[in-house]
Amino acid sequence: MYESSPAVAAEHLTKFYGPVLGLNDLTMNVVPGEIRGLLGQNGSGKSTLLKSLIGLIRPTSGSVKVLGLDVQRAPMEVRRAVGYVPESPRLYEFLTAAEYLDFIADVRGLGYEEKKERIGRLIEALDLEGKQGETISGYSQGMKQKVAIMGAILHRPKVLLLDEPLNGLDPKSARVVKELVHSLAKDGVTTVFSTHILEIAEAICDRLTILQNGRVLAEGSARELRDKAGLPGSGLEDVFLKLTGTKGVEDIVEALMR
Amino acid sequence: MRLHVLLKFAKILMISRMRSTRRSFVTNSLTNRPILIALIGVVLFVGGLVAGEATVSFFASAGASSSSISQIVLTIYGGLPIFVIGFFFTMGLLWELNASSESESTDAINWLPISPSEYVFASTLSTSYTYSPLVAAAIGYALPIGVLTGNGLAFLLLVAISLVATFIGSVGVEILRSLLARASSAFSKVGGRVMVVSRVLGVVLILLFTQLLFSGFLIVRVISTLVGDIAATIAVPIFWPTLSITSLLASNLLASAIFSLLSLGFFLVLAYVALSLRARFWVTTPPSLHFSGSSSVSGVSRLRKLGLSTTSIALVRREIRSATRRKEVVRLMAIPIILPVMITFPVIFSPAPSSGSSPPSQISPILLVGPLLFGVGLGALFLGMTSIGQEGKRLWNIGSLPIGASTIVKSKIMFTSLIGMIGLILGLALTVAIFHLSILDAFTFTGIGLAVILAESSLGLAVGSRYPDFSDGPRPRFVTITGSILGSVLGIILMILISGPFIVFLIARLLLGIPFSLYLSLLFSGLVGLLFSWIGYKTSIGPVEGILREIPN
Repeated sequence: MYESSPAVAAEHLTKFYGPVLGLNDLTMNVVPGEIRGLLGQNGSGKSTLLKSLIGLIRPTSGSVKVLGLDVQRAPMEVRRAVGYVPESPRLYEFLTAAEYLDFIADVRGLGYEEKKERIGRLIEALDLEGKQGETISGYSQGMKQKVAIMGAILHRPKVLLLDEPLNGLDPKSARVVKELVHSLAKDGVTTVFSTHILEIAEAICDRLTILQNGRVLAEGSARELRDKAGLPGSGLEDVFLKLTGTKGVEDIVEALMR
Repeated sequence: MRLHVLLKFAKILMISRMRSTRRSFVTNSLTNRPILIALIGVVLFVGGLVAGEATVSFFASAGASSSSISQIVLTIYGGLPIFVIGFFFTMGLLWELNASSESESTDAINWLPISPSEYVFASTLSTSYTYSPLVAAAIGYALPIGVLTGNGLAFLLLVAISLVATFIGSVGVEILRSLLARASSAFSKVGGRVMVVSRVLGVVLILLFTQLLFSGFLIVRVISTLVGDIAATIAVPIFWPTLSITSLLASNLLASAIFSLLSLGFFLVLAYVALSLRARFWVTTPPSLHFSGSSSVSGVSRLRKLGLSTTSIALVRREIRSATRRKEVVRLMAIPIILPVMITFPVIFSPAPSSGSSPPSQISPILLVGPLLFGVGLGALFLGMTSIGQEGKRLWNIGSLPIGASTIVKSKIMFTSLIGMIGLILGLALTVAIFHLSILDAFTFTGIGLAVILAESSLGLAVGSRYPDFSDGPRPRFVTITGSILGSVLGIILMILISGPFIVFLIARLLLGIPFSLYLSLLFSGLVGLLFSWIGYKTSIGPVEGILREIPN
């Protein structure tokens, strides 16, 4: 049903936070099974875009469709199909990891056997065994991130929205998450993934979207972006800096060292 | 001890108190100025002067005898020091109870190079100065009373003793703070549900005690005891400031001097104890609790037989865990239990109980049920008002899940009502046991109480969803000041509307002699309550939906 249309479609999205422009007439389509990376400097609109895609903020104008469903008109249906991890997720710190996941599973409508099996497997895969009886408040940033990721994939979503999902993760867990995103994509899960780590973006994502001031600055595969920047064979960092017009890095470093 | 660090740190603590209690309507630039507190103090001092002068004029015009006036001066002057100690201790205590564990464990004090003595004295100074306007008002009130009744010397002593009392109360909080930190640490190591239940009970008992202390009744009783039998109370240090004043008023200069010195000594001992405890026992409260057996997932709840969905049950379960495990929320859950006690207490003991001529059983139980319902209703209202704001920065969790606004509203009302019902049932059980309320009446009032709780919870949620305060500060409030005021006013109006049929019953029965049925009036009251519950529920859905669609940053 969704194969012919984009799994995620943002059309002319504009979002104002008071006088501040968060998104500026942004249009982006992500096909089913694709892993899309969102790149951009701080404040470029990555988190705002992801929040718009799950319906946590209402765009000032424009529309968002996920799996053909209008996010504003059918928020419940969209949230049933989507898993979301925000940047620096604030979880229910007074719950243990097991209780938190149990809560998510109940709300997502998982049956007893299914949730028991899924929670047990996720806790084992992300190395949280022995810690699941402790309240989340005592967890490290990385452990909280793991719990948030578990909560997002617990119900086998069709679309995953991940805002800096590798923040604070140890190398093993980061690798697990990267492999997981790949495996989910093979199963047809669409992922929109924001990150500052360009190597990871290049390694994981099928296509990249570079945002600047709430607009799409460039879009394509890593190779297409290199060609666009006129830097074939260069690292993605150089491509990113050139496309975003970042100048004078050396001057800034010199000023900091003074 | 570095004096400049002490003063700077005291200022930071004071600003922190001001901003987290007046944040929503006072700008930061204004709260950055400690002089603001002094200005408030001056205004209250002048207000106190006027009130004190009015008090003297009133007694003079009423033709009070000199012995009566002496008794009044004794009560006011003797009462002030003990009141000041209690006030400062309570304010510090409430400040502690309001603190979120999350912010406490990341408090700068845990890693900044501030010595125990600098911390204790800075915090004592900060508590004393922050709430000093009350002392200014009290001294302003006492000044004309002292001067116009020829007790100028006693007034001068009162000023000095009030300062000592202020520091006694403030430094007492420092002792408590260290002990609570130690206890929290020990409890957290034990972990589990026993710890959670102990903490809830502890908070409820502490709040109950402090509320009783401020009912006024207790202070009057203490003063009567002191005046009546000094020998029995001189061994209690907390009474020494009061005894220094009452001795002077009784023209016993030597005793007054001794008690004044003892008061000062008491403060110094407390300061030493606070320093020692801070240095020896201070440990950061561990941020996490351990629950054995909580790694297993929950089974099918029996509540589903009542028609509740799995989502509703999951939400209510989450609310209960939040209310019992988050220190800053535990105090809110205690409100529906404490308020009935606060409100019924004066009814039971006013006028002050005599030595047995009027046993409690002679009080009409019906008279107790009214205040009890009022207290439970207000408790449910406040709990409802804070229930949305306490989601704080965690709102994205429910925002990104397929949960409808109506389900959230229902579960919040259900949880608030559940806690309110605990207060109601406890109160009614006590009324049945002590004041012989009939079982039938108890059941009837349980029904009415449920309607009151549902109506006030729904109203609280309707207000709280419109005026939520999501800021996760060190002392979160969860509802804006505007919301609190509006909610309180509407809550009282709603209570009057629910009481309407009962008032009609009283007028018909007592004034007009019409045989109007009590039970019929209560039935109507219940129906009014249910009607407003439905209105509150319906009017909460829209704002909650709005919040879910535009999660605050």
